[in-house]
Amino acid sequence: MSKVYILGGAQTDFERNWKKEGKNMVALLKEAVTDGLANADITFDDIKELNKDNRVACFVGNFIAEKYTEQGHLGAFMTEVNAAFYGVPSARYEAACASSSVAIDAAQTKIKSGDYDVAIVVGWELMKTVDSKTGGDFLGRAAFYEKEGKDIDFPFPKLFGKLADETLKKYPIEEKRYMDALASISAINYSNGKRNPMAQTRKWFMSYEQASTRGTETNPLVGGKLAVSDCSQVTDGAAVVVLASEKFMKERGIKEKPVIKGYGHRVAPMLFEKKMADNAASAFILPWTRQAVVDAYKRSGLTVDDMDVFETHDCFTSSEYAAISSFGLTEPSREYEAVESGLISFDGKKPINPSGGLIGCGHPVGASGARMFLDLYKQVTGTAGRYQIHGVRNAMMLNIGGSATTNYVFVVGVDR
Amino acid sequence: MNIKTVTVVGATGTMGANIAGIFASFGGAKVYMIGRDIEKVKRTIPRTVKSVKADSIAKNLIPADFTMLEQCVADSDLVFESCAENIHVKTETAARIGKALKSDAVSCTGTSGLSVTALAECYPEDLRSRFFGVHMFNPPYSMSLCELIETKYSEKELADELKDYLDRTLLRTVVEVKDSPAFLGNRIGFQFINEALQYAETYKDNGGIDYIDAILGSFTGRSMAPLNTSDFVGLDVHKAIVDNIYQNTDDYAHETFILPQYVQKLIDEKKLGRKSGEGLYKLVRYDNGLKRPTVLDINTGMYRDRIPYVFPFADNMKKYIAEGEYIKAFDQLVNNHSLEAEICLSFLLKYIVYSLYAAKEVGYTIEAADDVMATGFNWCPPLAMYQALSSVSDVKTLIKERLTDIRGKIDIDGLLADIKPSRYDYRLYFKSGK
Repeated sequence: MSKVYILGGAQTDFERNWKKEGKNMVALLKEAVTDGLANADITFDDIKELNKDNRVACFVGNFIAEKYTEQGHLGAFMTEVNAAFYGVPSARYEAACASSSVAIDAAQTKIKSGDYDVAIVVGWELMKTVDSKTGGDFLGRAAFYEKEGKDIDFPFPKLFGKLADETLKKYPIEEKRYMDALASISAINYSNGKRNPMAQTRKWFMSYEQASTRGTETNPLVGGKLAVSDCSQVTDGAAVVVLASEKFMKERGIKEKPVIKGYGHRVAPMLFEKKMADNAASAFILPWTRQAVVDAYKRSGLTVDDMDVFETHDCFTSSEYAAISSFGLTEPSREYEAVESGLISFDGKKPINPSGGLIGCGHPVGASGARMFLDLYKQVTGTAGRYQIHGVRNAMMLNIGGSATTNYVFVVGVDR
Repeated sequence: MNIKTVTVVGATGTMGANIAGIFASFGGAKVYMIGRDIEKVKRTIPRTVKSVKADSIAKNLIPADFTMLEQCVADSDLVFESCAENIHVKTETAARIGKALKSDAVSCTGTSGLSVTALAECYPEDLRSRFFGVHMFNPPYSMSLCELIETKYSEKELADELKDYLDRTLLRTVVEVKDSPAFLGNRIGFQFINEALQYAETYKDNGGIDYIDAILGSFTGRSMAPLNTSDFVGLDVHKAIVDNIYQNTDDYAHETFILPQYVQKLIDEKKLGRKSGEGLYKLVRYDNGLKRPTVLDINTGMYRDRIPYVFPFADNMKKYIAEGEYIKAFDQLVNNHSLEAEICLSFLLKYIVYSLYAAKEVGYTIEAADDVMATGFNWCPPLAMYQALSSVSDVKTLIKERLTDIRGKIDIDGLLADIKPSRYDYRLYFKSGK
């Protein structure tokens, strides 16, 4: 089996509102793909050449463009980006907010098997086409809509608010300590986002104090104990990564590109209540999330000690909190220690989300997996600019779909 | 620079109220907000809180009035004067601040047009080195531009520390500029806007105001068309800026700073723009809730319905921009020879040239022109505009061919010799819309 190399990629500026700019999904794809290929040093002519021998394919991740932009058949839209994609195999992959991770997984599989030598992964979502309440309802389809989403305003903040409640029930932590840890997680992500020139919130103000003052006019409660400061953003954007086979690397004489070292993919019960019933026998609140991490460690032959940086799915502060023990940074129930000690801060030993994550950088749902993956690539290659963590050799990401239903983990590292 | 306590003098004005929010939020400072009427200051505080979306700062905002000025200043590490743009008010305030300022504190004026050097001279000699111009744009929460003006008295090391504080702590895009009338951003921006106002008069038989705005709309690299921007800023404010530049500078574009008569007439009639309900434009509201957008007809002096102009070049540009085909859009602009396309392109070319010229005169680097226009106006900055047009044509040749009237007045080759790739992405600024 071929190793899978990462040649590069790009993300769009997550501050942008494409509806306000009067631009459609094709414009978004054109910009992201053009920038991503340029970063990976692949031209449209290269694609034409590779396609003559059926050596290149596209993998498009998107959650729910059918609702946001009234458009399906998204894989075929690569042909609108450039005529070089005429005839190139391309399809759309969907697993809610983990859509572009499943696209990356499909892409790496085709490279490993030797079917293709270059795989272009594009994750995207345009979410500002509708008002926030309508958008919140669309996102409800990442849960069991009939039972958990229909006729409920903003179902997801409520589900992750329940995760906060369940965490407090399962573990012997005092509520204040837990909520303060969540406020710190928010403040860290916003603060990291200030370093990222593509982050949606780079100009926004947030502090620990503001994040821990919940239930005010500027920080209203949105789901149980969670307030606006605990939520990720509604974002327009795309992220592109380009993968390649060993054969391609040799042909081109490309050296020193990172490789995918391992992955994990586990699906938990769809309904939130069933998830919670299912965790009774586990020390972890999200045992299948933990299992996906364990699988990725096992496949990569690495442990938490080998990881220099993490990107996680902080769709809400309560999900990042649960990720801490899932990564193995603390024992389950003691996640607060990693927050309080500064372990996961930008300057800590195991930083989480130097990019700002979904809270700081933004969360165009179908793009987030590819965006995290791109950030691992940047960290490992030392190209993350002001949010670079020093000396990264291995990095891990966790991307979840629904209420931690689909769990995707990738390990990216230097090629030994 | 360790700034724990700040005094904002003139805190009930739009800028003062917003700047107090910036110091209290990003700066984490305690802020004394001084206004003429303490009750009005108290009513301003919720606005300040809202401007940075953070209730958590409310407890750090302390209302005060002018009788408490000396006491507040004496307790402050930084004093920010944001009073009315009136030399008498500002000199009087500067003198009072100077008497109470701590010897290790910093004092700033937010003036948008007055001489910072002249204001420095209102301070005791030993404190003049600690005085700077710090010119922010409205609203500062979303417009990050901050022009930093040193005077001949300023202490260089302190200026560097202040710059670092504004940049890293307050997250401003700091651009160092010379103490020149209206500084850099407004010099460039209002040259463009005022010339557009003049063109509206020249082309009043073609439609005038909305005609020119339709030619220079958001598809030309900005959020808001120029005359609409003037209406939004306020025609009185516009006048103050262009009059100041016209009276106190003299460059090749001098005549483009003359305020057109019809605008003066609107100001005389107190039709100052958006804030007074009518100006260049007027939104007529009916009792049944219907709104009717109208525009001033320069010929008749009456408001009329806006005209849905159809310019093939503009419609094609918008169509291409909507699909991310920027090069095809610029190709339409450069290769269409309708009157409207030629006016449009000439404005964009003049903008590039004047920006580079002004950056040399008022700034210290060529990039200064880019920073001020991107982060103070949200317009495609000049170097990025140069790059955009370069994708379809040789811009130097275009300038020489299309801007015949400035050819002899300035050294175009010399100006363009220093051109650099922009740090800004032009694609963000060209929009498909009105």
